[in-house]
Amino acid sequence: MKPPEFRLFRTTAIRLAVKSILFYGFLLLLVLAALYWVSRSHIDDEINTEIEHEIIKLQQIFNTSGSLQLINHIATLLRHKDHIYYLQSAEGEKLAGNLGYWPEEVDIEFSGLAQGSWVEDEALPTGFQEDDAYLPVAAIKFSDGSRLLLARNVEQASYLLEMSEFLLEAMGITILFTVFIAVILGRQILRRMDIIGASASEIMAGDMSQRVPVSHNNDEFDTLAKRLNAMLDRIQKLIKGLRDVTDNIAHDLRSPLTRMRNQMEVTLLEPRSPEEYQKVLRHNINEIETLIRTFNALLSIAQTEAGHHRAQLSRINLKQLALDLMDLYTPLSQSKGQSLVLINGDDSFIFGSRDLLAQSFGNLLENAIKYTPRGGEIKLHIKASANQVEVIVADSGPGIAETEKDHVLEKFVRLESARNTPGNGLGLSLVAAVAGLHNAELVLKDSKPGESNPGLQVIQRFSKA
Amino acid sequence: MHILLIEDDIQAASYLLKGLNECGHVVDHANDGEDGLHLALTGEYDVMVIDRMLPHRDGLSVIRMLRADNNTTPVLILSALGEVDDRVTGLHAGGDDYLIKPYAFSELLARLEALTRRNSTTNIEQKLQLADLVIDLRKQCAHRADKPVHLQPREFRLLEFLMRHTDQVVTRTMLLEQVWDFYFDPQTNVIDVQISRLRSKIDKGFNLPLLHTVRGVGYKLSETP
Repeated sequence: MKPPEFRLFRTTAIRLAVKSILFYGFLLLLVLAALYWVSRSHIDDEINTEIEHEIIKLQQIFNTSGSLQLINHIATLLRHKDHIYYLQSAEGEKLAGNLGYWPEEVDIEFSGLAQGSWVEDEALPTGFQEDDAYLPVAAIKFSDGSRLLLARNVEQASYLLEMSEFLLEAMGITILFTVFIAVILGRQILRRMDIIGASASEIMAGDMSQRVPVSHNNDEFDTLAKRLNAMLDRIQKLIKGLRDVTDNIAHDLRSPLTRMRNQMEVTLLEPRSPEEYQKVLRHNINEIETLIRTFNALLSIAQTEAGHHRAQLSRINLKQLALDLMDLYTPLSQSKGQSLVLINGDDSFIFGSRDLLAQSFGNLLENAIKYTPRGGEIKLHIKASANQVEVIVADSGPGIAETEKDHVLEKFVRLESARNTPGNGLGLSLVAAVAGLHNAELVLKDSKPGESNPGLQVIQRFSKA
Repeated sequence: MHILLIEDDIQAASYLLKGLNECGHVVDHANDGEDGLHLALTGEYDVMVIDRMLPHRDGLSVIRMLRADNNTTPVLILSALGEVDDRVTGLHAGGDDYLIKPYAFSELLARLEALTRRNSTTNIEQKLQLADLVIDLRKQCAHRADKPVHLQPREFRLLEFLMRHTDQVVTRTMLLEQVWDFYFDPQTNVIDVQISRLRSKIDKGFNLPLLHTVRGVGYKLSETP
């Protein structure tokens, strides 16, 4: 495991924080640019008004006090750092101001209105900008033919700088805050994950009964924990099932193998008559027959559970299948003095495997025939509704106790009462597997609840094709 | 019969050879698909037994080559793969029957006889007869000693199958497959009950029994047990 501080930086919270910082940083730059542009034009407006007012004031001074007074006044105005003036006589001589020369290349209207204009750097007074500057400029012509030009040096950079400084500070604070929140969140997530991880480690170490602790917050971690616990329950059940099956296979296959081996070994101890050999061989063939059956049934269940047959499901008419099965099993039930009746509506189609369904329904009918007493009744009922088909096999035998009903679907389960009847305890497991393959709901119920022989009703609900 | 056996499991093949020889059949054996195909294309056989998984050329490919060569000799496929679709693909490739390992030797023998017989009888016959038992395939009715035997439709199919294989042993599995089209092992004696019912209809009251039980294998419709 990596050192904790390193892990923290890999948490989703931190990653999200970094992403959001990048995103908001970009957004901030956009805002900054927009803000600059807006305030810039606002400031320009203000400066323009200012110089227009000033030029009117200077014209008033010229009108009331004359040219000399104006020159003196301009001299006093030069102490303002950003102010630019140029007063030129009608002959073109410089009378006052801090510009080097009249910017001739500038096409200025002598209206007294402010406008943007380029001024060459050579003309600018020292201490101003180095390059040619785009400045708000206004100019007028006086009655004696002299001309006055007024401009303001706008230091654009300082505005931008001030604004960005402020916004960058704001962004810095945001970043700090985001990282702070992310670290807290990240640590919280890590703590919760570590709890889950610790449970996982214990489970990996072999303690399948371990579960992920669920807090009372009912948050997404609790949802995850509950899901994980449900998954663990299922896995534990499957493992138990597998273990039971292995134990049972061991029992059901080992015992007959041992019997066969012993019998053959004992037979070989002494010379025996051909009849005796034949008897032993026949007996062994029967044992092998039983073994193969168990083996085939297990294989069939395994393949069905693994969904091997899913590819070749086709449209099956359950009514026809039921009729075929009735044909096969009616004589058997009659020979046991039972009545086997088919309650059947219209053709009912589902998507399925005829072979597997035949085997599954066959198993149910065989069970019913096996456990129903003489004179009893067995019903095969195909009940179609709007979008599903129910297949019900109901008998009037001793039934299965409520507590055993789930249990009997497991592999190799044989109820005490059935110990003396032939069978391998796999019939209902196959039924369950086939129902699962067909996404059918499988329900076990009493046929006649409350009676001394409640009977068993096996209901399978298939979706209509 | 002259049988071609293509099987790569030498031990299994030697038992089969021994068994088939003792039953009076002549058997040629090939260890792999290529040799097997060569033998099949050059020899004259009544029936072939081909294992599905073979070295050099798999069993299904051998059968496809044979069928492409217009060879119609019946083929029984042996396979350790027992899923439904495996059987279907086997029959699609041109096999005539499919037997899943582990199988009983008697089952194999019965199926081989059924296959060769199927080859020699045709479906255009309208009547089948054994001693005084006659079935009319067109009218779907049966008579024993000119007296009508009342049969359910499925019983008629059962009897028809037995009549088409008179003097041959048919197994319970063969009956379940051919008459009911079911491919599973019933855990009960359901076929025996069907047979005894049919027997009571065709043999009861007559001196000569025709439907015989062959112990440990199946049944046989014949004038002699």
